[in-house]
Amino acid sequence: MKGRRRPRPAVVLRVPSRTEFLAAIRDTAKRVAEFAGCEAGTAEQVALAVDEAATNVIEHAYGGAADRRIELSFLLTPEELRVEIADDGQPVDTGAVPDVDLRRYASERRRGGFGVHLMGRIMDTVSFRRTARGNVCCLVKKLPAGDARVAR
Amino acid sequence: MSELSVLSRELEGVVLLYPSGFINAHTVRLFEGELQKALDGGRYRIVVSGVDLRYVASAGLGALMGVIEEVRTNGGDIRLAELNETVRNIFEMLGFNHLYRIFPSEQEAILSFREASGTGGAPA
Repeated sequence: MKGRRRPRPAVVLRVPSRTEFLAAIRDTAKRVAEFAGCEAGTAEQVALAVDEAATNVIEHAYGGAADRRIELSFLLTPEELRVEIADDGQPVDTGAVPDVDLRRYASERRRGGFGVHLMGRIMDTVSFRRTARGNVCCLVKKLPAGDARVAR
Repeated sequence: MSELSVLSRELEGVVLLYPSGFINAHTVRLFEGELQKALDGGRYRIVVSGVDLRYVASAGLGALMGVIEEVRTNGGDIRLAELNETVRNIFEMLGFNHLYRIFPSEQEAILSFREASGTGGAPA
């Protein structure tokens, strides 16, 4: 019996690890989400989650180095939009993320640490895995039933 | 087209910032710089108008969080106005609406500084 085949990416985007490319990443994510059947507001949010994941790669996995590469794969099934953000940088901490305590963050004058929370609020699942080639952050958004434009 | 520009003016003792475009990890330094200019000038009553702000990522939220303690310690506040639905949703997702007062209009945000001492304070 054949196993369930992994869907082919509908779009693959490879960009340098530079923040200048976040706008292109965001625009691509928004368009793919709209194509998948997401409403405009949801597509905006998916784009934000992908922007945050790519920012984390640049700032944490690559430590700000601008000469590396990020590969984003957008995979569509009738049920979900899956975005995989891959890098070959330093392993990322995939431990549990504590709840946001804004008053404490304010008192500590903390400027970072919000991105992963936004990703978790927006997407249905957020997961991280380490492969032989590096880190992969996987963001999944379930699509409205019967509204996806992707044929089985 | 530039991804972000930030105009600044002062009215009735309140610094008004108008970020236009989007704030993310690439553009946030410009926004942080304008906030810091206000603080360096001893201006702690600040309204950020989102009338032309299309989108804000966590970097923009971090910029506000990084200075709010200093602003409030000095008797001021950062208040937000005219956020579009996308931006407002982002603020609400992390509960920023409980830490920052958000007004429908710039005028209401400015006038809010006249209340009592007009300073400090997260929303009740």
